Amino acid sequence: MMKKFREVILLLLLLSFVPHAEGTRYSLPGKPALTRCRSPEKETFTCWWEPGSDGGLPTTYALYYRKENSETVYECPDYHTAGKNSCFFNKNDTSIWVNYNITVVASNALGSTFSDPVDIDVVYIVKPNPPEKVAVTVMEDKGWPFLRVSWEPPHKADTRSGWITLIYELRVKLEGENEWEMHLAGQQKMFNIFSLRSGGRYLVQVRCKPDHGFWSEWSSASHIKVPDYFHRERSVWILITVFFAFIFLIVSWCIHINSHSLKHCILPPVPGPKIRGFDKQLLKNGKSEDIFSALVVSDFPPTSSSNYEDLLVEYLEVYIPEEQELILEESKDLHDGCLKPKGSTFDSDSGRGSCDSHTLLMDKCGEAKDDGRQTDQDGSQTGSEAQRQQAAWEQEALTYAHEDMISPDMSSGRVKTWPSVFSPLPQYSLSPLSQPSSLETAKQHCLSDSLFPPSSLSSYLTQPGQSTKEYVEVHTVNEEDMVLLHPVPVGHSHGKGCLQTHQGEDYSKVNGVDKNNVLLLQREVMEEQVDMCPCENKDANGATESYCTSSAQKSIPCIHTALPVQEEKAVNGYVDTATMFPLPIH
Amino acid sequence: MPGNIRSVCAVWAMLVCLVFCGKLTTVDAAPLCTNAQAGCHVLSLANLFDRVIQHSARMHGISNDLHSEFELYFLPSKNQIGRVSRNCHTSSILTPNGKENAQRMAREELTEVILKLLVAWRDPLWHFHQSMAHHHDFNNFSSNKSLEMSDMVHELRKGVQKVVEKMQMLGIISNSVSNLASPEALLASDSAEWRLMKDYDLLYCFRRDSNKVQNYLKILKCRIVPEHGC
Repeated sequence: MMKKFREVILLLLLLSFVPHAEGTRYSLPGKPALTRCRSPEKETFTCWWEPGSDGGLPTTYALYYRKENSETVYECPDYHTAGKNSCFFNKNDTSIWVNYNITVVASNALGSTFSDPVDIDVVYIVKPNPPEKVAVTVMEDKGWPFLRVSWEPPHKADTRSGWITLIYELRVKLEGENEWEMHLAGQQKMFNIFSLRSGGRYLVQVRCKPDHGFWSEWSSASHIKVPDYFHRERSVWILITVFFAFIFLIVSWCIHINSHSLKHCILPPVPGPKIRGFDKQLLKNGKSEDIFSALVVSDFPPTSSSNYEDLLVEYLEVYIPEEQELILEESKDLHDGCLKPKGSTFDSDSGRGSCDSHTLLMDKCGEAKDDGRQTDQDGSQTGSEAQRQQAAWEQEALTYAHEDMISPDMSSGRVKTWPSVFSPLPQYSLSPLSQPSSLETAKQHCLSDSLFPPSSLSSYLTQPGQSTKEYVEVHTVNEEDMVLLHPVPVGHSHGKGCLQTHQGEDYSKVNGVDKNNVLLLQREVMEEQVDMCPCENKDANGATESYCTSSAQKSIPCIHTALPVQEEKAVNGYVDTATMFPLPIH
Repeated sequence: MPGNIRSVCAVWAMLVCLVFCGKLTTVDAAPLCTNAQAGCHVLSLANLFDRVIQHSARMHGISNDLHSEFELYFLPSKNQIGRVSRNCHTSSILTPNGKENAQRMAREELTEVILKLLVAWRDPLWHFHQSMAHHHDFNNFSSNKSLEMSDMVHELRKGVQKVVEKMQMLGIISNSVSNLASPEALLASDSAEWRLMKDYDLLYCFRRDSNKVQNYLKILKCRIVPEHGC
């Protein structure tokens, strides 16, 4: 009973095992596949296949082939020579230019599986062995090295009989680099490589291919070292020299182009002399006499550009302060009263003389005043001294015209302070020091300007001050034909700017001019004082125009009506001596 | 001014052309004379062989290209069983199928085989070109190739005949090789078979045969004049 039971159980177990094994482990073999067939020399060839799954059972593989135009099926003659899963066809079994139809069959206990058939023609599956005996040597060509590579065809390939024709290819690279340099050598068995790096280590490989077939594998690498050669260094130096020469040329050309601006930068030009209206060439080329005469130009200071009217003084205001002390003026007035010719511009670097200095002028005036007082004390001497002084003035004035240009500003202050100099005594007009300083000369210059308005000496006297005005009267004419003046005290002041009539003795009337060209003046006592009136030019019998202060501009010279004159000549009180009795001008 | 430059350039170009043409004509001026006449520039046998072999190599290259194009465009199924029994019309010509067989063959036989092959393909290729010209599926490039191929076969045959004449003259081979009679005879017997072939098979067969010709010529050359390139 127990034995039967055990047998049944065993049977059951066996039965259970069998279907289980068939379902999971054992099956037909997987389909093999021919991977490739190759012939190394066109005389034999080998085919390899890839086996499929074996199906769990031991599987055997067989290769069958059929030749073209034949139904006979042959099996692979040699399964072992070429390794596992391969079939080797030797020379006897190989026919060239014949189509082979090859199939691999995998079979196991359960069955067999056929692979897909493959058609091959041996001519087109030739893959030779790599070239052999690759030799690389360094050779020299006129001092430049090159590599000579030589090799031999694989010994199996029969190229000598012309059965196979191989073409070769080689590749070169430096050690450590990734890029190969390829060269096709054709059918020759030798090749030269140029353009080598000095001292470089190279690797060379060769491979070959039949006319229609596959490339062989690369031969094993041959190492070669190129020796150093000197030419390379020399060429580098030559290159550097050329490069720097080129740079130098460019820089010098740039400097040459910009030479002007560079010169200005490094050596700035010296400013030349700035004299308006003066030819600089004279300073360079001319003689000293020419230079000096050029400086004394007839139209110097230049009046051509400016209006002539600007130079004529409209009127000269001279005031005598109420008290016998110097009226200190504001510097402001000084500057306000600066004589400026209408419309002219000043040169920036023209100097301003000491006349501009307010304090200096005051000092000079003070001194002058003291001196004047002193001179007054010498009563009898005043006249001659005054004459002397006047002469000195005149001389100074005349010579002064020949001196260097003085800015009109210098004269401005003088006009202002002039009355202070004049103020205390009528005789004080001739106050100046015995030694005319530059200030005195300047004053004289102003004075002479005012005296001789139409003369060649220019005058810039224009705007007078606002305070009381005084007139200057002609005192005498000396033997040298100079007019001596002295101020006339003001009777009463008013702003109308007219000439005041004064009483009596301070005014002089021109009586006539004698043979010696001396202006004869006559004193008269005015009984009436005629008030001012808008001045007009009035024609009288003889001398017509009244003597007005110099300016010929619109501002208002006054006329005095005719007064009884003791003289026969019905002359007005004042004569424009310049027009009536032309004085000889020195 | 530009007119002067142009005239100068034209004159200079003409001079250059004259010089070059002179050089070229001096090279081509020598005719190929088989009778070794005086003043003839005689080509050596090795030179003749090289030219012929180059020509056959070019012919084979063109046939290979055409065959590849056919395979691309038409892709005949490679698994046809019937393909094995493809029958080239030249299969009746006995050709050596191995190196030993080829080396064992006499020079005269080998030469005859070459000539037979070349003769056998003259007409089929001409007709193939005609059919290709009418086929609008092919581009002009293929049509030109087929024309070139048929011309080359003709040229190659003439060349090989010249080589044979040279060899016979030099006494390398006997005069048993019949140049004119046998090709015409062969042609008459095989005239019908190639018409049955399809275009693709024709190309396949010709590719193989051109390879054979090239190979046989090389063997001949290395056997007869082995100095250069063997």
